[in-house]
Amino acid sequence: MKASGPGGAGRGILWRRLVADDGPGRLLFYLPAVFMTVFFLVPLGLTLVWSVFERTMFWMKPGFTLAAYGDFFLSGRIDSFLNSVQSGLATVALAFALGFPIAVFVRRSLPPAAQHKAVLLFILPFMISEVIRLFALRPVLGRNGIINDALIGSGLIDAPLDWLIFTPTGVVIGEVLSFLPFMVFCGFLAMEGVPDYVFELCSDLGSGVVRTFVRVIVPLAAPGIFAATLFIFVNSLGLFLVPDLLGGPGAANAGTLVVNAISALDFPLAMAIAAVMVAMMIVLLLIGHRLFDITRILQPYR
Amino acid sequence: MTHDYENPWGYRLKWLYMLTVVGVLMLPVFYTLYISFNYGGFGAAEYEFTWLWYRTLFENQEIRTTLGWTALIAVIVVACTIPLALLAAKFYQRTRFKVPFVFLMLMPLFVPADVTAAALLVYFKNLNTLTESVLGLAMFELSLWTAVIGQITWCLPYAFVVILVTMARFRPEQAEAARTCGANAWQAFWHVEFPQIRAGVFASTAFVAILSFNEYVRTNFLKGGFDTFPTYLVSYMLNTGMTPEVYAMAGLFTVVSMSVVIVVLATTMLRERS
Repeated sequence: MKASGPGGAGRGILWRRLVADDGPGRLLFYLPAVFMTVFFLVPLGLTLVWSVFERTMFWMKPGFTLAAYGDFFLSGRIDSFLNSVQSGLATVALAFALGFPIAVFVRRSLPPAAQHKAVLLFILPFMISEVIRLFALRPVLGRNGIINDALIGSGLIDAPLDWLIFTPTGVVIGEVLSFLPFMVFCGFLAMEGVPDYVFELCSDLGSGVVRTFVRVIVPLAAPGIFAATLFIFVNSLGLFLVPDLLGGPGAANAGTLVVNAISALDFPLAMAIAAVMVAMMIVLLLIGHRLFDITRILQPYR
Repeated sequence: MTHDYENPWGYRLKWLYMLTVVGVLMLPVFYTLYISFNYGGFGAAEYEFTWLWYRTLFENQEIRTTLGWTALIAVIVVACTIPLALLAAKFYQRTRFKVPFVFLMLMPLFVPADVTAAALLVYFKNLNTLTESVLGLAMFELSLWTAVIGQITWCLPYAFVVILVTMARFRPEQAEAARTCGANAWQAFWHVEFPQIRAGVFASTAFVAILSFNEYVRTNFLKGGFDTFPTYLVSYMLNTGMTPEVYAMAGLFTVVSMSVVIVVLATTMLRERS
């Protein structure tokens, strides 16, 4: 097997050694895992350690103090955080209500060849920078934006609606528009492997629309729904641009709190908030994995 | 295919709903694009088409420099991420530890950008102190490379998923047949498997390029003393407000991303047809 195969005869001996089954080349396969461990897992794990360090003027020094956690949990920060949890949950619910039916429709009612193309439609908004999409909401939702112009022009309202932007509603609108495509992608991906006869059986056996949805479709798509829910929830807590661009004065989420703590050179506080976020994410991820094996999304049935 | 065809109006209504949602998602972006060509900018009484704001943009030396940095980072990130994603997908197929590996690879998607970026920033600062005391050289000064590392942790999961899904359609028996005929692992991959997953690799290349081009939060934390286009745009916007130049920059951003997507979609569809 290690001998040069067809087309390989001209290559150098070094190359042949490298790609041989027991050659050093096989170590390359560990590279992605090593990279992710070194530059992702370890830094995030260390946030827990850094969060108990003592704050110094411009940096921090090793020690053990829970001051940073106190700063987070026993101050106004926890209120901002809980508010952002609320808008995160609202975002998830809206994204599910608006986006998941699309995934079901695409999977059930479109011919197989068209399904991927329909889902790709949602790639387009996702590929526009988050910064631009959020920024673009200002001229749309603002006092003299197109929505207010259209509503006033049609005589439906007299004065511009001023709760559309720079309010908690504005934050939720921005988040839903940012993350809705994920519900479509994940929902579709989870149902892609479900054979067509499952859906046909439901209607053949006379199961109603609601019953089919609750008892068949949602359980089958559960890993996808969960992945999308977690993604949307965690990212809506973290995206610090949303409160900055669309929230009212003082609007903040976990991301804003981290960024502000870093700008104030309070590194232990930033690391404490990061550690809380990571812990929350891991707990949710483990629960979700227990309930509905998330790796199922990645293994299309043949 | 299913009973939905029996009621053509319900079917059409659902199509209409789907297209409306896409339209609503895209509307703000197109609207800014429209404003960016207006001489008077946003809120002007009448619309007067002009290229002026785009010309100002390209005459601005600073912006040209930021575009250069953005392109350079995108090229490096693509060149590192795609091979890593291929290796990761291959590793996933072979390893016995599938679940921990998938968790490791996909976790960056579930951690907010600012949290990752802040953790990496503090990590790099600590590594600097460490390497400086051991080697006398701070190896992780904030620079192009720290920004690249931050972006790769973000792009790799996406590339991994796209390539993995494409690879799942490839039948491993073919590679095994090649191996039986005497090809080594590399030849079996390069001559048999790769041509069949080329579309996925191509798509993920474009995907990663756009993700890198758009990336703001991590780059902003981890870059050295330069600006990329997104970081320049945001700081400009926060400093000067919504000037016509900001709209033009947003428009440029949109056009670049959209043309990449359209080129990819068109190529994929042409390939499918032929």
